Formats: sequence, C-alpha cells, structure tokens
Amino acid sequence: MNEPIDTGTTVLMVGNPNVGKSALFNRLTGANAVVSNYPGTTVDYTEGTLIEAHRTCTIIDVPGTYSLTPRDAAEEVAVRLLGEYPGAVVLLVLDATRIERGLYLALEVIERGVPCIIALNMTDAAHDKHISVDAAEMERVLGIPVIETTAISGEGVKQLAGMIRNAKAADISAISGRLNGDGAAEEMVALRSGCSGCGVCGR
Amino acid sequence: MARSSLSTLYVGLLGLATLASGLADILVWAGAGPGVTFGILEIAGGDFFRWGWGGAVMVFGGLFMLSGLTHSGSLQQSAKVLLGAIMVGIIAGTDLFALFCESVPAGEGAPEFFNTASGFLGGIAPPYSPAILLLPCILGILYLIGRGEPDDA
Amino acid sequence: MQRLRGVRPVKLTTNERWDLVDAIAERTVTVGTYRQTIGDILGELTVKPATGIPVAVAVLYAFWSIFGSFAGTLVTDGFMVRLFDDHWLPWLQAAWPGPDSLLYYLAVGDPLAETCFEAFGMLTSGLFVAIGVVLPAVLIFYLMMTLLEDSGYLPRLAVLMDTVLHRIGLHGYAIIPAILGLGCNVPAVTATRILETRKQRFMMMTLLAIFIPCGAQLGVMRDVIPDLVGPVMLYLICGFGIFGFVLDRIIPGENPEILIDVPPYHWPAWENVARKLWTRTKGFLKEAVPFVLFGVLLVNLLYLAGVIGALADLFEPLFVTWFGVPKETVGPLIAAFLRKDLAVAQLSTIAMTPYQMITSVVLISIYFPCVATFVMMLREGWKQMLAAVGVLFAVVFVYGGLIHAAGILMGVA
Repeated sequence: MNEPIDTGTTVLMVGNPNVGKSALFNRLTGANAVVSNYPGTTVDYTEGTLIEAHRTCTIIDVPGTYSLTPRDAAEEVAVRLLGEYPGAVVLLVLDATRIERGLYLALEVIERGVPCIIALNMTDAAHDKHISVDAAEMERVLGIPVIETTAISGEGVKQLAGMIRNAKAADISAISGRLNGDGAAEEMVALRSGCSGCGVCGR
Repeated sequence: MARSSLSTLYVGLLGLATLASGLADILVWAGAGPGVTFGILEIAGGDFFRWGWGGAVMVFGGLFMLSGLTHSGSLQQSAKVLLGAIMVGIIAGTDLFALFCESVPAGEGAPEFFNTASGFLGGIAPPYSPAILLLPCILGILYLIGRGEPDDA
Repeated sequence: MQRLRGVRPVKLTTNERWDLVDAIAERTVTVGTYRQTIGDILGELTVKPATGIPVAVAVLYAFWSIFGSFAGTLVTDGFMVRLFDDHWLPWLQAAWPGPDSLLYYLAVGDPLAETCFEAFGMLTSGLFVAIGVVLPAVLIFYLMMTLLEDSGYLPRLAVLMDTVLHRIGLHGYAIIPAILGLGCNVPAVTATRILETRKQRFMMMTLLAIFIPCGAQLGVMRDVIPDLVGPVMLYLICGFGIFGFVLDRIIPGENPEILIDVPPYHWPAWENVARKLWTRTKGFLKEAVPFVLFGVLLVNLLYLAGVIGALADLFEPLFVTWFGVPKETVGPLIAAFLRKDLAVAQLSTIAMTPYQMITSVVLISIYFPCVATFVMMLREGWKQMLAAVGVLFAVVFVYGGLIHAAGILMGVA
C-alpha cells in the first residue's frame, strides 16, 4: 500500500448535543473521543483523520450546539470553528428521533453556503419509536446527500465516509422551491452530477 | 401485570416483607444492639452505611412496591413495582458483591494471597442479609412484569 | 474533493427557518403510533422528586458500596497491603544497601517501618499509594461513572438537583462536573464549560477545586480512616453549600435557567465503556504515578533541608490555635499541593485525635488543588485562576476555624 493522499479537506461534524457526533467520529476515525449518554460531553473539539479510498481528510468533532447563536462556552467553540475553517465540508449530524431541531441548525449552516452532507443518525432508536424518516426525500428536498447511520453499531458509517466527497452547498431558495413542487427535476440532475459512480447510493 | 388477585397478593406480601426488613435494618442499627441472627437471616447492625442508609433504600423499595398495588394492571403501576424490585436488587447485589470481595483473599495474617476453596465457601455461606433472602422472590416480580407486558409490535 | 462553485450565503429569520423546518419535516418524517413502554415510565419515575430522590439515594448507595468492596476490601486490603507490607517492603529494606545513606532515605525511607504507609520512601509509600490504593479506586470509580453516563442516568440526576443547585446560583448541570470531579478534578475543570455564564463557570471551578475530593483521595481516605469518611464528606458538602451561597451573593453575573435535555435510557455499549475506562485509567497512570513519586521525593528533600520544620514553626500558631491541629500537619499540607492522596496517607501516620484527623483531612481537601488541576484552571484563564486561589485561602482560613469552633462546641476538639 502506498501512503494515502492527503486531500487537505477538513470536515467539521456539527449537530445538536447528544446526537452521537462523538460516537460517529470514533467510528469514522478510529479515535478515542469520549462518548456519553448526556448532552454536552464534548466541550472541546477533537481532531482525527479519516482514511477512505486511499485519501485522507481531517475530521473535527465540534461540541454540540442548538443554533449558531452561542449560549455557552461549548457552543462558542462550535461557532468559532465554523468561522476558522471557511472552506471546510460540514457533516451535519441529525438525530432521527428529534429531527426538527437538528434541521434548524442544519439550515443555519446551509445558509452560510458551505458544502454540507447529512448523517441521519440514531435510526435504530427512531425505528424503536416508530418514527420513520425518508432519507431519499430529504436528500431530494435539501439537495445535499443524506445518509442513514447508527453510530453505536456502525451501520451506514462506511457509506457515509464514501459520500463525504459528494458534499454539496445548497441554495435555500431552491429548497423552498422544491418544497413548493417546482423545478425539482432540474435540481436533481445538478445534485448527482458530481457523483463518482461509487454505486452506494443506489440510483 | 398483577391482573389476577394472586399476583397482587404476591407483590403486596413481598412489599410488606421488604418494608419490614428495611425498618428492621434501621432499628437494629439505631439500637446499636449486637445484631440479630435468625436461622439463615442476619442483621448485623453497627455500620451506618449498610444498615442505616441501606435500610432506608429497602424501606423505599417496599413502599414503591406497595404503592404500585392499587389499579394494578396499568403500566404506570407496574413500573413502580419494578422500581421497588430494582431497589431491593441493588441492596442484594451489593451485599453479594461484598461477600464475594471478602471471601476471595485469604484471611488476616495468612501467608497466602487467595483463600482456600473451603474458606471461600465458608465466607459466602449463610447467614445472609434480608435483601439477599428476598432476591429470589424479586425475580418472581420480574417474571410477572415480563409476562404482563405485551410483546412489542 | 472537488471544489464547488460557491452558493450565495443567505440569512433567514428565525421564523422563516422554522417554517422551512416544518415543511421539510412534514415531507420526510412519519410518526407511527407509539405506545409507552415500561422503560419510559421508569425514566419518568427517576426524575420526579417523590420517586427520584429515593432512587438517587439507592444509586449513591450502590456506587459507594461497590467502590468500597472492590477497591477497599478486595484489592487494597485483600491483596495490595499483603503484597507491599509482607513482601515488597521487607525485601526492599534488606536489599537496598546502606540504611544510613541519603538514597536509602529517599527511596526506601524508614528502615524499621512495618507498613508501606509509615516508611515514606519513593519506592515504598510512593508506589504503594499510587498502585496499591489509588489505582483500584480510580478504576472502579471510572467503571461505575461510565455506566452512569452511558445509561443516561446523569442528566436525570441533573434535573433532580436543579432546584437545590439553583439556591446556590448554579443549575442542575453543575452536578456533572461535580461527579466527574469525584474521579479527578482535571476533566471536571474542562466540563465546567457546559455551564452558561462566566460567573457560573468560575463558581463551579472554584467550588470544585476546593470542596470536591478526587477519587485518589477518596481511595486513600477509605483505606486509612474508614470510620471518618462520613464526617469528612459531610463537612465538604456543607462547605460546598455554604460557600456556594456566599459566592453567588458576592460575584456579579447571571444565573440563567436552562432547559435540560434528558436523553432516553439505553444499555451502555460494552465497547464504549471499555474504551472510556481504558482512556481514563491510562490518563491517571500517566499523570498520577510520576506526581506521587515526585511528591514523596520533594517532601523528603524538604524535610532533610529543614524547610518543613521551619514552616511548621512559622505556622504553628495558626495551626494549633486557629485550626486546632498539630503542627506536624504542615508537611502533609505541602505534599498536598502535589498529590492530595499522598497527603492523606502521610496524615494517617501522625498521632491525632479523631476530630483533629477530620479537621486536617478536610483542610487538605479544600487546600490548594493538585498541580494538574492547577494547570487546567490556568488554561481556562489566569485571572479566574488567581481569583480562585484568593477565594481558596479565604475559605481555608474561615472554614478551618469554623470546623474547630464546631468541634469546641460539641466538646470533641
């Protein structure tokens, strides 16, 4: 094996507290970020390296935040990191059982015009609670890749790693447009044009 | 759970027994007496932590079980009974763990590190605290609750 | 990674954003009928005060009982005391050359000592305290701590404690750094960041450094003064309350309410528990063991140089009349700056009445945080650190006197 190529990409993992960012981070990087079942475990950021398909990128596990208007010291760290890495890909981690507040934060990040990808985490817990989230539909509406994961058991993590390079910046007005039902077809083409044909998305 | 009067009776008696042994724990400790041994049952008293504090936990456990008796059958009430059972389980579990920890090393002054097999068995033999004696009955409660809960669809 | 053409940033208002969220959620989420399970109700019962407080009492009981059985009875008394006192100490006393030499004094200590606590050499007391007493305590503490964290009980405890902690200007979440601090103050200082205002963070950090004994110290206390742990903890908890109340009144700043997000209970993932336990224990071994050995070395050197004797004479009036403890406790107080566990171990060899022992152990706990905690506090801001040290001296002085006074009133001092 040759040395993996460093793509120089930085991925920021952003999401609400206690949605499993650190667990997902450990899965992606093999690192040892402390994971607990309460919001606010990560108060400082942790950095790790993801090696996928012979390319490496830096992943930063950002402390959980509810919005980009910081209220406590941990949230300040999150906002500061987004400012410090303007070119970074943002991996938005959403809790499938509490999707709304996650989407709120996601939209705030999307509004900044940065490339994003969504990990719809805790799908196992959502299944237990009889909540189902249509990831494909969410992907179509938002115009950014949405991957279902269960960080605690590792499901979907490999697929997520493969899709990080397909992260897309989305346009809010286009999202509103798609929600109202127009221009969908045209946007679809644009979304998948960057697909490297890995086959995992099944389309 | 506890749909039949028989299981209500079972939980009720167990709750009373737990409550009584919790109160007995506290009384023996407060009286600072020499401790009570009755067959395989022993309340040593003396130590505030085990008998004062632990006795209080038993009292709460008994009260939870009794308070879950009315309107039996609702999930809310079963949860109270279960919580009471868990409290007794905590005391019994820590008691058993303490017995185990005392019996594994050899006794004071012995040159060896590990206890002999007979010494170990002697260490974990009765008499036991009331919580340990109630433990098998507690498992019965778990069975009743497990049976009462319909399978998740 | 291919670069994309930038999309123009836009800024929505909060309402517009929520409208969009609702529209997306409506499109993508379907919620089936959900029946409450017994687990959900148990979850609720552990937060309601009437049932939650007894449950907290039971959980604390289990925590302390298992801690004592494993660290005290099984590992330390069962095996380590035997290993160190019956095998390691006699062997070292015989094998190390020259009982009168300086090196012997530093490494082995007292050639006639019968236990590793009394010898006070680097390789005797130092190793025994670090490996024999503190390591098992830290290991079992972190195991149970991790189980509480991963099961989701901690945030419920935070909800329960919210009312009480609000009285002293903190909120329920302050319980998390407090409990972490019972393991080690170092991660606890970082964890204060989950509190919202500067005031709350400062208060929590100060109270943490002063009144929360760390796992190492608890382990040593459990071993050398088992009967006095209760009173010592009681004094510390009272101190936490009293000085929290006072600090809340004198420090300007806000104590905002926060909404505590309670996650569902779930079974801890084995892999995660093992990983966390390993990371934390490794952290302890790397930090604590060198500090304990170095602490013994430093204290011995200071004794030899006569520094401790001089300090003891200097502080004698304060210690004897104001705190009511023997002047020999000055030595342990200096060691306490490096490691508090070490200091408690050292105290146990000084002849004192039980009440003097309680007073001096409480003083050691509230006196300077250990070096490692100190460095962490410095990292959070040197101004805050200096202020915390100022508070600390005031507290040691006032509270030490108070405890002495309480002892005089009860007729035991």
